[in-house]
Amino acid sequence: MTTLETTIAMTNTKLPRPQPAAPREYPVVDAIRAGEGFTPEIHEEILEQDSVVQISGFSLWYGQSRALFDISMPIPRGKVTALVGPSGCGKSTLLRSVNRLNDLVEGVRVQGDISLNGEPVYGPSVDVIDLRKRLGMVFQKPNPFPMSIFENVIYPLRIDGEKRRRVLEDACKNALQKAALLDEVADRLHESATALSGGQQQRLCIARAIVAEPEVLLLDEPCSALDPIATLRIEDLIREIAESYTVLIVTHNMQQATRVSEATAFMYLGRLVEFGPTEQIFQTPRLAETEDYVTGRFG
Amino acid sequence: MSDITPIIQSKLSTESGRRRRPTSLAAHGEPAVWLMGASLTLSLMMIAGLLSLIAYDGFRAFWPREIQRIELASGEVVLGEPIRTETFTPTEAPTEERERTLYRVGNRDTSQASFRWVEQPQVATASTPDDVVLVERIAWGPWLGELERMERVTADGSVEVLSEGHEQTLSELSEQLPLAKQRLAEIESLQRSVIDRANKQREAWRLRVAVANRQLADTDTAVRGLSKGVWTPVLAAGLGSLAAGWAGRKKRWAVVAWCAAGLLLVGAWVEQPTAGIAMTAERVEQIKSDSSQAERELVERTSEAEARIAALVAANDEVRVLIREPRTGRVAPTSVSKVDDPLRVAQVVRVVPANELSLAQKWGVYLSRWREYLTDDPREANTEGGVWPVIFGTVVLTILLSLAVVPLGVIAAIYLREYAKQGVITSVLRIAINNLAGVPSIVYGVFGLGFFCYTLGAYVDSGPVEPLPRMPWWLMAAGLGVVVSTSVLMAASGRRASTLGSTASSRWLQRGAGIGWLSSVVLIVVLGSTTPYFHGFFADRAAENIPTFRSKGILWASLTLALLTLPVVIVATEEAIAAVPGSSRQGSYGCGASRWQTIRRIVLPGAMPGIMTGAILAMARGAGEVAPLMLVGAVKLSPDLPFDQTAPYIHLDRSFMHLGFHIFDLGYQSPDPEASRPLVWVTTLLLVAIVFALNSSAMLLRARLRKRMGGPVV
Ligand SMILES: Nc1ncnc2c1ncn2[C@@H]1O[C@H](COP(=O)(O)OP(=O)(O)O)[C@@H](O)[C@H]1O
Ligand SMILES: [Mg+2]
Repeated sequence: MTTLETTIAMTNTKLPRPQPAAPREYPVVDAIRAGEGFTPEIHEEILEQDSVVQISGFSLWYGQSRALFDISMPIPRGKVTALVGPSGCGKSTLLRSVNRLNDLVEGVRVQGDISLNGEPVYGPSVDVIDLRKRLGMVFQKPNPFPMSIFENVIYPLRIDGEKRRRVLEDACKNALQKAALLDEVADRLHESATALSGGQQQRLCIARAIVAEPEVLLLDEPCSALDPIATLRIEDLIREIAESYTVLIVTHNMQQATRVSEATAFMYLGRLVEFGPTEQIFQTPRLAETEDYVTGRFG
Repeated sequence: MSDITPIIQSKLSTESGRRRRPTSLAAHGEPAVWLMGASLTLSLMMIAGLLSLIAYDGFRAFWPREIQRIELASGEVVLGEPIRTETFTPTEAPTEERERTLYRVGNRDTSQASFRWVEQPQVATASTPDDVVLVERIAWGPWLGELERMERVTADGSVEVLSEGHEQTLSELSEQLPLAKQRLAEIESLQRSVIDRANKQREAWRLRVAVANRQLADTDTAVRGLSKGVWTPVLAAGLGSLAAGWAGRKKRWAVVAWCAAGLLLVGAWVEQPTAGIAMTAERVEQIKSDSSQAERELVERTSEAEARIAALVAANDEVRVLIREPRTGRVAPTSVSKVDDPLRVAQVVRVVPANELSLAQKWGVYLSRWREYLTDDPREANTEGGVWPVIFGTVVLTILLSLAVVPLGVIAAIYLREYAKQGVITSVLRIAINNLAGVPSIVYGVFGLGFFCYTLGAYVDSGPVEPLPRMPWWLMAAGLGVVVSTSVLMAASGRRASTLGSTASSRWLQRGAGIGWLSSVVLIVVLGSTTPYFHGFFADRAAENIPTFRSKGILWASLTLALLTLPVVIVATEEAIAAVPGSSRQGSYGCGASRWQTIRRIVLPGAMPGIMTGAILAMARGAGEVAPLMLVGAVKLSPDLPFDQTAPYIHLDRSFMHLGFHIFDLGYQSPDPEASRPLVWVTTLLLVAIVFALNSSAMLLRARLRKRMGGPVV
């Protein structure tokens, strides 16, 4: 019950409640509600950069219900990009569309395309398995496999058919080092991973995601199941990793977005609303919706 | 905090507030707690009662009892072990209550019944003299009497008295008995290693001659196969398509080419122009002369052993012991037809002077009886001797059963849960599987007998009953080739097309591939059951009407039980698989694992403890099952174990003994129920112990698995 958010929320109640501002105009929301089209605000700074993933006109349906609406955005190379937006707006869906994890859901249909380093992700001759090997993914809840720490970390290499003991051991050490976990588990690599604490487990999952040297790291609310201290450690870790990887992170926590990310995309009701450098999104957003969302008055 | 307190106070001070009753015991659920506790206690008491009854009677059975000498009012003298005492109302005096005692009096050869009720009023004196013995014999049950003397009667009729009186005879017996047993053991081992083996070889030669004669008479087995003109193109086409498959760039056509190549090459191999054997009169003569040559060698080899056996038998025949029963004044006879010929020492199993045994000696007798029970073959219609083959049969059956059921059940469950599209068909299948668990076990027995023994067994023995002619069969094989290669292509292109946009065509392709796989299975079964090329593994014996697998046997019994316990394993595995968290699977897929890799590395290891639970349940159920076994293989007596030192060492065609059936046999089929009653307890105890041992070893394994994975241990 002592997550950072709750603590902040509790301290906030002591303060006088912010007076509800005068009802504001939300042109984009109105357009969405009315079923009209609108153009998302994508800041020029983003468009100028080299992108590693290019999402173009991408829509996704779960059976009959549509979860993503015609999303087009580049993911800048070598940066941390945060996806923010109210619950259920399709952040996870978009993230999972990049490594086609949504394929596992019965009745999913897509339109448009995503490309990874120029190669289409949804092309007819794409090897999905190979695609997923090129992307590392970390989930909201730490999900270590019920095996030893060592086996957990090298799992992606094992399924890739790597058998050489030396290679596996080196890769494991390396990944754990990068995930800032090596010192804590060096002497118990062959003990069960499920005995680790939540924060350690999540760092283990990050080690697992980067052991195969992926091109992009996808993080889906990696800290929301962790306590504040563990959260801070993971955030540090993300900043460190960002030096060598492109990271796409979904987060619920605005502070976190400002702390770790260089670009932030605001999504709402399955649409991309505004996408720009993080300082601009948080300090000089172009849309009223974005401003009110990042300041907690909307959503 | 302070701004809340006044509200509470104001509530308290309100007079009109509804009076609340103090929470009653009923509201706390006390009666329900009591009921639950009571039923748990009752169940525990029943289980404990059952187990302790079995343990008490089972462990007591072999303890040596005292032997009483009773002089009846009529002057008759009876020796017997008191079994139990009860009060009864005699029919001639319905108002009275009398006491009577059941004695085991043994001596079945002179007194017909080995148990006897003695009414208390008839007893004049009862004593426990030291010089009476209970003699366990190889045949005809125990003999109770007084040791008189031992003598050696040589072949020329001269009698040498070896000992006289109780003490002397007892000590002389302790010398002679081991000697006699040693001779018996030597006879037995000669019998097994020389005589039995020679008989097997004789049988093999006899079969070989019979087969040769039959082949001579049978024109069908004359040279067959394709003519050279047809065969050469077939071979060429086979090699050609093999090469084409190799060289072909497109993978899908390579699959087709390889299917065709396999078919053509196998066909060319079995249909080669020189196929078949021509049996000629000369070869038959040759085989016959070989056979008589072998027979001469066998006679030579066995005659030495036979002479040795005869000498041993004669030696055992010399030493006799006279044990006189006081009632009739008779001595224990060597056989029922020769009542005056005294017992041979070699016919004695054990002499128990029960009344003069010290506690340590009693323990000695007790343990040696247990040892005999656990390691010997049964005697006397199973009412005496040991149960070694029974234990062996039960354990082997259980192991075979789990070897069969666990892989089958796990594979079925994986397919059902992970691969099959969840829908009407899978639901119906699940219901059917659950219902299968409720089918009475005897039904499985009938099925096993009809299908495994008489159908599959006949196939294994002598091949298909009505084989197809060669041409139609090869056409069907070609059909199988077409179906398989079509399915491979459909599955491949279906997988390729299954990007998220084009689901309709990929769904049809995958459905088509599925139907193809199913029909290929059906086709393979049909092809196998109509092949003109398979004549059974035991065709020669079958032709002589000697069944091998076409009869009850441990293989069929374990397969029947595997079928019986299959639902247990499937359900347990499915539950275990479903309990593997989705987050683990997602994680695995996210790492780029395929579905199969996820199943093999994440799902199966995670489900292993649950699978083990299913296996344990299946083993426990299978080991305790009796009804179906009576139909498919368990027999009253079968001292030949399913494994032994004669080739091929594993004899899964043999019928076997089983503890559950043994208990039934002892309890209901025994010629002397009173005599076999203690053995019923002992055998029950043993069955419970074996099931317990099997279960706990499986549970230990499961606990270790769980511990390794860091889950809960229990
Ligand atoms: N497996 C699924 N099946 C059907 N609908 C789903 C599934 N996953 C998510 N959705 C729906 O898609 C929308 C977006 O969900 P999600 O991407 O999880 O949102 P977010 O991560 O932004 O909270 C939601 O309306 C949700 O109900
Ligand atoms: Mg989400």
